Amino acid sequence: MDQDSNATGRPPDLSVELGPLRLKNPVMVASGTFGYGEEYADFLDLRQLGAVVVKGISLLPRPGNPPPRLVETASGLINAIGLENVGVEAFLSQKLPFLREQQVPMIVNILGNTLEEYAELASRLDGVDGIAALEINISCPNVKKGGVLFGTNPEAAAAVVQAVRRETSMPIITKLTPNVTDIREIARAAVNAGTDAISCINTVAAMAVDVFSRRPKLANIIGGLSGPAIKPVALRCTYEVLQAVECPVIGIGGIMNATDALEFLLLGAKAVQVGTANFVNPQVTNQIVKGIERFLQVEGLATIEHFIGTLDSRCVFPFAEEACEP
Amino acid sequence: MAKCQEDLQVVHQEEVAERTFRLQLSSERIALTARPGQFVMLQARPGTDPLLKRPFSFHRIVPEKGLLEILYRVVGRGTWHLSQCAPETRLNAVGPLGNCFAMPTERSQGVALIAGGIGVAPLHELMVRLALNRPKNMVNEIHFFYGARTAAELIPILQYESLGISVHCSTDDGSRGYKGFVTQLFESVAARNNLLPDMVYSCGPLLMQYHMARWSLAHNVPSQLSLESLMACGIGACLGCALPAPQPDDPMADKYLHVCKDGPIFQAGSIAWTKIQTQPAAPLIFL
Repeated sequence: MDQDSNATGRPPDLSVELGPLRLKNPVMVASGTFGYGEEYADFLDLRQLGAVVVKGISLLPRPGNPPPRLVETASGLINAIGLENVGVEAFLSQKLPFLREQQVPMIVNILGNTLEEYAELASRLDGVDGIAALEINISCPNVKKGGVLFGTNPEAAAAVVQAVRRETSMPIITKLTPNVTDIREIARAAVNAGTDAISCINTVAAMAVDVFSRRPKLANIIGGLSGPAIKPVALRCTYEVLQAVECPVIGIGGIMNATDALEFLLLGAKAVQVGTANFVNPQVTNQIVKGIERFLQVEGLATIEHFIGTLDSRCVFPFAEEACEP
Repeated sequence: MAKCQEDLQVVHQEEVAERTFRLQLSSERIALTARPGQFVMLQARPGTDPLLKRPFSFHRIVPEKGLLEILYRVVGRGTWHLSQCAPETRLNAVGPLGNCFAMPTERSQGVALIAGGIGVAPLHELMVRLALNRPKNMVNEIHFFYGARTAAELIPILQYESLGISVHCSTDDGSRGYKGFVTQLFESVAARNNLLPDMVYSCGPLLMQYHMARWSLAHNVPSQLSLESLMACGIGACLGCALPAPQPDDPMADKYLHVCKDGPIFQAGSIAWTKIQTQPAAPLIFL
């Protein structure tokens, strides 16, 4: 019997393993698009998610950038929020208890201006009940210090991962920026420094201007583009990272539905993060999980693992195959 | 008041003033709990372009019939697509969102409502409820000040006077009513009649709201100002709809409120008005 067939009628197994992290399904929500979870509790069953990645946390609270912070572009959204967050103390005392009760794996996205801040954050969060993993943000384009400065240089990226690795035994995910010449170099550096997984991509550096006022549309001038507009860039980056490193990769960028999510899994990503789509449709992640399940049933696959990384990279013209049919 | 997501169906849409549309939607859930001053995020068109839902305040709420109305002005691509929606079109929506106008809690001599242009949208439902429940709301006089750039932009407001509301109109070009800004009209009427309302409700362009906030603080009259912002989610996740808040301890430090969850209704003193960088609105020209 073909090992892929799923004739038993049982629902397909969506669970995935990302190194030390085991998730009930590959659909997570991306940092900065899901608040601290409670914002979405009216709309969906958080327990149905593979994991929740919370809004990036810094050591001290950050007020964020002046408005306007958002501009909509063709099938995209440019944001320059500026990492507004409550800081690690308020996160632990006010925000974490809610998510802990939801019984969904919680991944805490951390960001700092200096190596010491990353290390201090890792040490404060290490072993805290309810936290499943840390995601290192070295890829935010909207702050002047830290963030993306660490993410665009392989040595600096490695230094951040090492600094965090020394302070925690928790699984570490490193989130990469696409705003580099060669994302594979950064991915290799992060893996060699001890990251357990890579997530990619963060937003694409972007801007928008108004010809009537002759001004930028964001107070910060430059922001990060997300949404369907960046999915092809994200797929390319994910593909390149998968070729460069052995560790599990989480695909992020422009995922709006189950098909988009499956595209990243097809490349070999073990999981995906859904970001901007949460703003447009707060129930989208539950719908994506159901859509993936349906896809596996239609394809007769018993587990998601039977689909992940099955890309046949020999491209054929669609009509060529049809022409060969008897 | 749980938030929810549902498809609303277009019942009726009409252009009630220049580029200004009243859209009636049937709603099974949002209409049941919506309150005056709250808003809904509404998808303007299926697909990913435009990508985001748009925030609209409730213009009318009829829970017993499962109906909602929004009033909007076509200012860009999203609202243009919305204006093209025929009856029975289904539009995905998230709501009801944000805080609501607070009704007077003590016996009140009078309240003033000030609307600038499309700012009339959220004030209608509030005003009608204030007028119809006068004994319960303990409001004696309701003064409604309504201004626009020109007469063609004013929506019909005949029904208000039959509800016992004193209506005062202004246009920037003098084509109807007082010639000048609605804030000037309000201040001159208030001064002439020695009118000092117990509460000011206001919605309109940011500069107008700034004037109302200053008046409210100078005259020590509490105010409820409905503010707007670009926003991606409407539920406090994207943090895109930030407005600066005063920091009395450290005036130079930045602190932000968010229109979607801290508002859209704000008191005059809760916004650091002079820190807001205003952008002139782009003209509606599709080049």
